[in-house]
Order: sequence, then structure tokens, then C-alpha cells
Amino acid sequence: MKLLIEVCNKKTLSFISSDGVILPLEHYAVESTAFFSLDEIEQISLNYSGEIFVKINRNLWNQDIEKVRDILIQLNQMNITGILFYDLAILELKKELGLSIDLVWNQTHMVHNTRTCDYYYSKGVSYAILGKELTLEEIQTIIKNSKITSMVEVVSRPSIAFSKRKLLTNYGKDLGHKVSNDIVIQEKVSHKNIRVLENHDGTSFFLDMIMNGTSILSELYQVGCPYIIMKEYGLEDCFSELVLDTMNYIHDGCLDDTYVKKYKKLGDYTNFFFQKTIYRVK
Amino acid sequence: MKKIELLSPAGDLERLKVTLLYGADAVYIGGEKYNLRANAHNFTFDEIREGCLFAHQLGKKVHLTLNIVFHDEDMDGVEDYIEKVVDCGIDAFIVSDPFLISYIKNHFPQVEVHLSTQNSTSNYKAIEFFEKEGVNRVVLARELSKDEIFEIIQKVSCDIEVFIHGAMCTCFSGRCALSNYVTNRDANRGGCAQVCRFSFDCEYEKDFTMALKDINMAEYIGDLIEIGVRSLKVEGRMRSLYYLATVIGTYREIIDLYYDHLLTSDKMKLFQERLDRVANRETSTHYFMKEADDTDQYYTGRVEVSNQDYLGQVIDYQDGFIQFYERNYFEVGDLVEVFTPEAEHISFVVEDLYNDKKESVSVARHPDSIYYIKLEGDYVIPEYSMIKIIKRGEK
Repeated sequence: MKLLIEVCNKKTLSFISSDGVILPLEHYAVESTAFFSLDEIEQISLNYSGEIFVKINRNLWNQDIEKVRDILIQLNQMNITGILFYDLAILELKKELGLSIDLVWNQTHMVHNTRTCDYYYSKGVSYAILGKELTLEEIQTIIKNSKITSMVEVVSRPSIAFSKRKLLTNYGKDLGHKVSNDIVIQEKVSHKNIRVLENHDGTSFFLDMIMNGTSILSELYQVGCPYIIMKEYGLEDCFSELVLDTMNYIHDGCLDDTYVKKYKKLGDYTNFFFQKTIYRVK
Repeated sequence: MKKIELLSPAGDLERLKVTLLYGADAVYIGGEKYNLRANAHNFTFDEIREGCLFAHQLGKKVHLTLNIVFHDEDMDGVEDYIEKVVDCGIDAFIVSDPFLISYIKNHFPQVEVHLSTQNSTSNYKAIEFFEKEGVNRVVLARELSKDEIFEIIQKVSCDIEVFIHGAMCTCFSGRCALSNYVTNRDANRGGCAQVCRFSFDCEYEKDFTMALKDINMAEYIGDLIEIGVRSLKVEGRMRSLYYLATVIGTYREIIDLYYDHLLTSDKMKLFQERLDRVANRETSTHYFMKEADDTDQYYTGRVEVSNQDYLGQVIDYQDGFIQFYERNYFEVGDLVEVFTPEAEHISFVVEDLYNDKKESVSVARHPDSIYYIKLEGDYVIPEYSMIKIIKRGEK
């Protein structure tokens, strides 16, 4: 089992060690908090020994297509393991250009079943980041049964929605003054806190809680989960220590109970790992 | 030029029939499984069969939504379900999962596959991918401008469908799990709790809200026709019969008048008033002519108006008596209008009102009860005509 990380501070990359990194591409990645230019990615690829995945997960517009074509060609020439994609234009462009670079199916809330993972695998997509709305049991089933190489986000402040609209700018206009481009809102009944971030591509929503999947790592390890993902955003104070401990834990076969005990400090929110979502309310 | 399709939602068999009678060229419906309105009535196999028969007799079509985001457990039995609904006679599936696109095209090539807006398809290159998978039509993302839609149509060969009327999602369709995280209801499997219409506490002096105004593209139907859009979709499988009759009937008139070069600004003003009156939210054209901005949303929580215009649904008209189911209170002296599926609009003051026993009464105050209005004249007022209030206490 390998550990991939996504950082929210570029400096973190220089002193942290994991099996690989996810680098959100500037102007083409969303639901992230730190972005890398193509030049920066190239520099990192020259010096970094681990696997590098580049995230291009924005919905693309007609005007993006030619630029993305060029970007894919450039990335194909770098030492990049794969590209995380949301928009199917990327898969089409990869086919069209005959690129060898691997793709990662990363349609945030849609990667939810074995057969569709296998469908993408048959189209030349090697990896899939499984949806965060899956239970642990569903995750295990996909890992066991799908031909695709699964990746599971286990520790993060989960991204939960994305809008093209500038919702904080709009809100500020209604208030008659500027508001921060990073605010926390609270739903009145559930009292759930949601972090709202706006940039030039739109508005991202993150649950303002840490999804703590450290307790399921041993089960993922046992089922042969190829990759786990941890994200720094929201965990800035302890991320380097968490990554170091996790690297040791997984390379040790996930046998050290002290790891799980130690990271109970991240809280007991386990997302949907043990809780199914409902959809019929009658 | 092939006439553009007007595509209506139909939450049940009665809505299917009414919207087709009011001028929809096709309807989209949900079966008892796999659609994004898990809590709607939805259609049984027998109802799907009856609906298809009814539509086909009128030379019209039925599309069936199969557009949830499937978990493994949902995949159990989906092939059997697809086979059954194909046997019922449906003309097209609306699908978001590409595995199912491929499955349907391989096993039932006679049935069209339409890519759901759930995929938020926003560029021509993504459509090229889906075309190669056999998709016949793409329902575009609702975040596109006129120019972008036009460029897509120029570059692809499949049909393009766009939303023209109804409620809008704040986030990209398929890219929102607010409902899952706030209410534990799965947005992408039909349980969306519409969290984007909630209001939220925050550090500023006023609640944070992000609820959108509805979309209303009536003014731009001509543009959509001219740029080559194939189908115009109305949102609202859970909307009332009256709402659907009004909206579909109005768009039918707009489309027909446009093709006949008879759509005047005066008529457009009348149509817009009709659509505004039945709406329970303000409307906007969102991204079509400009980047959506602060004018396209609400800032004070839920702003919804309960519409009391709908007075009754006609059962029959014989011997000068309109027989109808009452829907909202009205009384003798009110100015009302009957509108029919054939776009006839008959206004008159109610002078003689009778209950179900044909006893004279002065008010109709029992919703769902049968009443009669006397209206003599040479009118054709078929079943499913609607009665609405124009002005109370006119006499």
C-alpha cells in the first residue's frame, strides 16, 4: 500500500517524504488549496524520486481544449506517473494524441462501483480515486473485484461540492462590503460547519471536519488497497508527523496499534466508511 | 428545418398525458428505480407501458431517466430492469454512467441513449468521447453560454439538449454532495435535500445563502432554435399539473409562433406574464448571455410564493356546464379563465356555480370536490383544460 499526499503549502514538499504526491495544476485544478505551475511541476519531476500525479479536475470549456492538449503533451514528456481527470475531454485527448501517460478517474462523487471502474479500465484508465461517499465495505468490494488500481482518500478535510459561481463575491455584493474568500458557514439544524473557498474558477465547499480514516488503514491493507491519500489542508500542524508515521505504519504491515491510538487525536469523524447514505425517505 | 423538440417532465401518468396534450413532443419520466427523484411517485412497468402507448399514438416519445450514480448494490438487477423498460416501449434512456451507455448500446441499439446533465458536459471534446460510445444526445451543463453552445453544436454530430425552464442547482450537477454531508441523503442517488436552498449562519451580519432563481429562457427560444439546439427541456418532475400545463402550453405557443414568424413582442410579453404568474420563484437566464452573477440568486433564504391561481381541472364540458375538480377557493363574481390543451383561452365572470349535486352555491371551497360552472356558448373545452383566477370579485 502506497501513500500519496496532497499539500496545501508548497514548502511542505521539500521536507516531507511519501510514496508520491498529487500536484494540482494551476488554473486547471479545483477543490484544492495549493496549485503548481507547469514549470514547477517539471522542476519537481526532475528532483523527486516518488510518484507524481498531476490533478486536472476542473470542468473544461471549449476554449480550454487546445491549451489542455498542449499541457497533456508536455506532461507526457515529464516523469509523471498519472493525471487525475474529471472531464472526459482529457480521456478523449489522450486517445487522440496517443499519449502513454496514465490517467486516474477522479470524478469526485461518481466513482462508486466496480463495473464503471472496469469500464474506464477498458478505456485505458489505470487508476481511480474512489468516491468519498462509499462505505468501507463498498470500498473493499471495488478494490477486490475491479481491474482498476484503486486509490482511497483516508485523511482530509473532504471536498463536498463545487460551483462555477462566485458565491462569496455575490454574498459580499449583497452585504455591501467585501467578504473573505475563505469563510465557514454553519447549517442551522445539523450545525455542520462547511468551509467555503472562492477563487477565479468558482467556489469550493469543504466539510470543516477532518475525515479520520487512520482506523481503517489495516483493513485497507489487508484487502490489498494499492494507494491511500492524505491531504494537508486542515492538518497543517501535524501533517508531516502524520505522513511519517503513516509511512512507517503501512510499511510495517499496519500492525502497530499505537499508530491508531495516536491519531485518535484527529477526531472520530469517519465520513461514510461506517454509515450508508440514504436516498429514499418515505 | 427539423422542428425543435419540447421535452416535458412527467412525474406520473396523468402528468405524462396532460403535458403531451398541452404540446410537449416528448416527456421524461422516472421508473421505480435508478432515477434522481427517489421520493417522487415514479412509474410502475404497467404505467410506463401505458404512457408509451399513449405517447406513441400521438407520434410522441418517452424518455426514461436512469441517471443515478450507481453503487455496486444498485447494479444488481439493472440489466433486467433495462430489458423490462425497453419492452414497455421507451424511446430513450437518460444515463449518466458510461458503463450503462455502453451496455444499452450493445444490447438495445434501437433505443436512444441521452447523456444526463448529471455529467455536466461543458465542451465539445468530452462530447466527442461520448459520441464514440454511442450516445445519441447530450444534455448540456447548465453553466454554458449561447456562444459556447453554438460552438459545441458546430463541432459535434449528436443532438444537443438544453434546460430552458425551472429550478437550477447552485453547484455543477453531479459535483455536489452537500446533501450527503449535511442531511445524510444521497444527492446523486435521488435523495437530494436541496441544501443549496438552506440558509447558513456565518461570521457576517446576515445569513449566507446561495439559492438560485429559476431559469426561464422564453425570451431566447428563437436563439436556441437558430443555433441548432435539438431539444428544449423543462425541469420539474415533481411540479403540479397546473404548472406543467401552463409552462408546456406556453412554450408550445412560443415555438410554433416562432416557426410561423408570428411571434410578436406583445405576444412574448403575454407569455412571459403567464410564465411569471405560475412561477414560485423569480427567474433569470443565468449563463446564456453573460457570466452568472449576484443578480441570479437569492440572499434571504427561501423565497417561494404559493400560487393560488389554479382553481380547477376540467373533467368535462357538456350542455353549457363545465364539470371540474376544484383546486383553490373561488366564488361567484370572480373573473376566471379556462385554458385548453389546444391553447384556447376563454375568460369570463363566474355567474352560476353548482356543487356536485348540481345545487347552486356561491363559493367553491372544497379542494378535490366536483363542481360545475355554467358557461353557454360554442366552446370546445376538453378534459384536462385548466381554470385559473384572473381577478377576484370582478362582479
